[in-house]
Amino acid sequence: MKRWLLRQLGRAGLAAWATASLVFILSRLLTVGAEDAMLSSGNDLQVRTAATSAAAHQALRQRLGLDEPIFYVTRISRESATWRWHGTHNQYHHWLAGLLQGQLGWSYRDGQPIGPKLRTALVYTLPLAGLAAAAATLAALALGLALADGPLAAPLTGWRASLQVVLTSLQGIPVFVLALGLLFLFANPDALNLLPAYSLADNPDGLPLGDYLLQLIMPVLTLVLAVLPELALPLAAALRHELRADYATTARAKGVPAAILLRRHALPNALLPLLTSFASLLPSLLAGTVLVESVFSLPGVGRLLAEAAASHDYPVVVAGVLVTAGGRLLGLALADALYALADPRIRLAL
Amino acid sequence: MSRLLRRPRLAALSLLATGWLVTVGVAGLLAPWLPLPFPAGVPDLLHVAEPPSWATAPRHWLGTDLFGRDVLTELLFGARQVLLLSLPATGLAALVGALAGGGVGFWGNRGCRLPLAAWLVLLAAVWWLLALPGGGQAASLLLGAAALAWWAAPRWPWVSRAAWLLPLDSLFQAAVTLLGAVPRLVLVLALAAGPPLSTGKLLLLLVAVAWPEPARQVRAQMLRVRTLPFVEATRAAGLTTSRIWLRHALPHACRPLRATVPLSLASLIGLETTLAFLGVGRPPDVSSWGQLLSMLRQEPSAWWLLASAGGALLLTLLALQQLARANR
Repeated sequence: MKRWLLRQLGRAGLAAWATASLVFILSRLLTVGAEDAMLSSGNDLQVRTAATSAAAHQALRQRLGLDEPIFYVTRISRESATWRWHGTHNQYHHWLAGLLQGQLGWSYRDGQPIGPKLRTALVYTLPLAGLAAAAATLAALALGLALADGPLAAPLTGWRASLQVVLTSLQGIPVFVLALGLLFLFANPDALNLLPAYSLADNPDGLPLGDYLLQLIMPVLTLVLAVLPELALPLAAALRHELRADYATTARAKGVPAAILLRRHALPNALLPLLTSFASLLPSLLAGTVLVESVFSLPGVGRLLAEAAASHDYPVVVAGVLVTAGGRLLGLALADALYALADPRIRLAL
Repeated sequence: MSRLLRRPRLAALSLLATGWLVTVGVAGLLAPWLPLPFPAGVPDLLHVAEPPSWATAPRHWLGTDLFGRDVLTELLFGARQVLLLSLPATGLAALVGALAGGGVGFWGNRGCRLPLAAWLVLLAAVWWLLALPGGGQAASLLLGAAALAWWAAPRWPWVSRAAWLLPLDSLFQAAVTLLGAVPRLVLVLALAAGPPLSTGKLLLLLVAVAWPEPARQVRAQMLRVRTLPFVEATRAAGLTTSRIWLRHALPHACRPLRATVPLSLASLIGLETTLAFLGVGRPPDVSSWGQLLSMLRQEPSAWWLLASAGGALLLTLLALQQLARANR
C-alpha cells in the first residue's frame, strides 16, 4: 500500500513537473510579445522613438532573463539547422533551480515576485476551496443516502427521480453559468437582494467574520453545485448496488432496520471505490475557483490565473499550473489516508 | 429505438432536443446569409446596453450588448462557434480516441512488434524533423537501410527476428497521466495564454485535451471485445490482424462512444464558452455566447444577456444530455 502510494505520488509528481516544463518552454517559444505587453502596459505614456524603444526592449529582455537561450540545447537558426549546447546558462535551468529553492520567478506585468502574490491569493482561495470541499462532501453524502433510501426497484420513482434528473442536468452546466445565475438571482436589486456580491476585495482585513462568511456563501454554493453531481450520483449508484448484495439481504432477514442497514452496512462498502473521485475533488475545485473568483471578484489564485492567462503573464500562469498540480498531489495523499481509514484490511496491511 | 417507442415521454423529449440542436446548427451554418435587421460587428452606438425593444423604431429583438451590437445577431454568429469549433473538435477527439484506445486495447504492451525496417523509418523521420547533424543525407541513408531491411527480412532469419516491442499501453498511460496532471480547464488556460489563437490551432488544442476520455472508454471495451469468440473465429478464418482490428473488433469497441459523444460535445462547448468568457485565446471580435455572457461582469443587471446567451447555452447542453440519455 505504501509502495502503491509512493508510485502514485511519484507518477503524479513527474506528470506535474512535465506539464509545468511543457507550459514553460512552449510559452517561451511562442511568446514574441512578452516585453511588448509589459512596455505597453507601463504607465509612462510618452511617445517613444524607434531607437529608444529598441533599447528599452533590449534592457527589458535582459532584466527578465529572456536574452538567454531557452533550453540546454537549442537550434541556432532555422536555416543553418545546427544544434548547440549551452550548459546551465539557460532560462529553463534558472527557472528549475529557482523552483527548487522556492523561487517562482517574477510577473511580467508588474515585475513583482510571484511567491508573495500567490501567498496573499491563497489566503482567499484556501478557505473557499476548503469550505466548498467540506460542504460538497457532506451534501453528497446526504443526497446519496437520500437517493438510495427507498424501494429497491430498478428505476427511481417520485421525487427521487426528479432529484436525479436535476443532478444529471447540473452536471453539464459550466461553472461560470451557475455563478452568473446565482449572482443574478440573489444579488440583484431587481430580483432577490439577499446576499452581498462584491466588497471582499475592498477591505480584506477589516471585515468581521460574519460578513466574511456571508460573502463566501455564493461562491461556495456555486462550487458545491458544480462538483455535487459527480460525487452524489456515483455514491447513490454504489449504495443501491450494495443494498442488492447478499449480505444486505441477510441483514434485512435478521431484522436490521433500513436506516441502520444503509448507514452502517452499505455505506462503508459503497464509499471505498468512490474515494478516488474524492481525490480529484481538490483539483476540480481549484479549477472551479478560476471562474468563481472571476465572477464574484475575489482576489484569489483562480482569478490570478485567469487574469494572467488573459494578459499573457506566463510566469504567473506556470506558477498557477504548479499550484493546481500540487493540489492534485495533496488530494491523492488524502485519498490514500482515507482508504486506510475506511478499510481495515488496508490498515492491517500497512 | 424500440425502447424509445415504449417510453413516449422520452421520445418526445428526444424529439425536442434534436429539434433544438438542428435549429442551432442551421442558424450557425446560415448566419452570414440570414436577412438580419442588424449586420454583425456593426455597433448601434445610439443604443448601447439596452433591453429588448419591440415597440420603438430600431427593433433590437433581444436588446443590445455593451458595445451596442445586436444580441440576436451575436447569438446567431455565436452558434457558428459551436458548429465550427466544438463540433469538429468532438469528432476529431472521438476519432483519435477510438483509434488510439482501440489500438492500445487490442495490442497492449506486448502485442505490437515493429520490424527493423519500421524502426529505421521512424528513426529517419525523427532525424529529419529535428535536423540532427547530417540532416537530409543521414535521413536518406537510414531510409535506404530500412528498404534493405525490408527486402532482407523474408530472406535472412536474423533480420526478421530483430523486431522490438513497442509498449503501446505504457506510452498511452504516460500520455494520459501527463494530460491529467492538472484539470482540463487549467491546462487549456495555460496553453492558450499566448496571443490569440487561430480557429485551427484552438481546434487542435481542444482535441489534444479531449482525446483521452474516448480513448479510455474504447480501450476498456476493446480489452473485453478482443477475447470474444467471434474475434477468435476471424483469426481462425485466416484474416490478417490489421483487418480483424479495423473491420471486426473496432466497430464493437466503439459502441460506448454513442452515448458519450453527445456528453463530450457538451463539455467541449462548455470549455469553449468558458475560454470566451475569460477572454483567453480568441480575438475579442469573434462572436461567442461566452463573450456575451462575460459582459454580465460589467453590467450584472443585463438580464436580457443572461436570458438569451445563457438560455441558448443551457438549452443546447440539456439537449445534448437528453440525446446521450436516449442513446444509452
